[in-house]
Amino acid sequence: MTRRPPAIDDESLIAALRLAAGRDPVPAHVPAAARAIFGLRLPGAAVAVPVAVPAPAGVRSGQEGRLLRFTADELTVELEITPVDGLVDLAGQVSPLPCAGTTVEVRTPHLTQAREVSATGQFAVTGLPPGWFSVVCRRPEHSPVVTSWTRIRP
Amino acid sequence: MFEVIPEAPVIDRQTIHAALAGDQAAWDALVGRFSGLLWSVVRAHGLSGADAADAVQGTWLRLLESLHTIRDPDRVGSWLFTTARREASLLSRRRRGERLVADPADAESAGPWPAPAGQAHSDPALAVLRADEGRRLWRAVETMREPCRSLLLLAATAPDAGVRQLAGRLGMPSGSYGPTRRRCLNRLRTLLNAQEATP
Repeated sequence: MTRRPPAIDDESLIAALRLAAGRDPVPAHVPAAARAIFGLRLPGAAVAVPVAVPAPAGVRSGQEGRLLRFTADELTVELEITPVDGLVDLAGQVSPLPCAGTTVEVRTPHLTQAREVSATGQFAVTGLPPGWFSVVCRRPEHSPVVTSWTRIRP
Repeated sequence: MFEVIPEAPVIDRQTIHAALAGDQAAWDALVGRFSGLLWSVVRAHGLSGADAADAVQGTWLRLLESLHTIRDPDRVGSWLFTTARREASLLSRRRRGERLVADPADAESAGPWPAPAGQAHSDPALAVLRADEGRRLWRAVETMREPCRSLLLLAATAPDAGVRQLAGRLGMPSGSYGPTRRRCLNRLRTLLNAQEATP
């Protein structure tokens, strides 16, 4: 293990030199994308933060799937992520079992897919582009719960 | 070389409140104020243009979900800086072991999330990313001997060059580039500290 330098780290010094040199300007699409995501804000939503998922005994860990768990407001959203041909399939489980009329929206910066949650608390979305995504869970008579933005890479 | 960085929009309490209330123009002001800084921070981690854009996008998405917990305009910059550094560092590590991974679990193992704002606030690395500090940095580089002077100039002005290219242009073996760069940056830090001691 290397020790963290006490003062300014190497990358920040390089960043400062680059910023001042002005030779690597921000491509216009980067701030444009940052401005565009303002439409994704969800005022009043509770942000579900990731919690560690213990690896179940006997289940191989590896490239095939990945389980993520988010919690907020006594609601847990579990997401199993499976890469398929460069895209991502997402299978979700909401618990405790949601009441009728509960819906989810799986959001990326570019598209939103809405799903009704089954009576057993499940939902699925297939063929998502890799990249940033978050899931909004809307329950009748509750504030929405939204999972913290997470990056899935192929 | 020493371009005048245009005056960035001022971010005050009103800007943050307006953004929280749904004012797109206020959000745009935040984006305008910090885009250059975030870009230079993530690119300095050796990320390609596409990865850098991804890391910056993630930083803004996290701000969008966290802005109501920050509120203090003085802390927004340091929070963005810390978050971008973390995203870039995760992404550059990921690049070495290409596999499908979702990030939160890794982020947890890397430390508490969200970043403790107090810690971010006192970060001396953020201070050096101001325009006047950048000029001071370059003045220090100009006093350095070779190969540091050329190496830092190249590292800062050839953002897409790989190690082999950079080493080739400096006339050194690829394996020497990393250690030499580290030594030069240490030397630069010493120079800056000396300047601070005798203003």
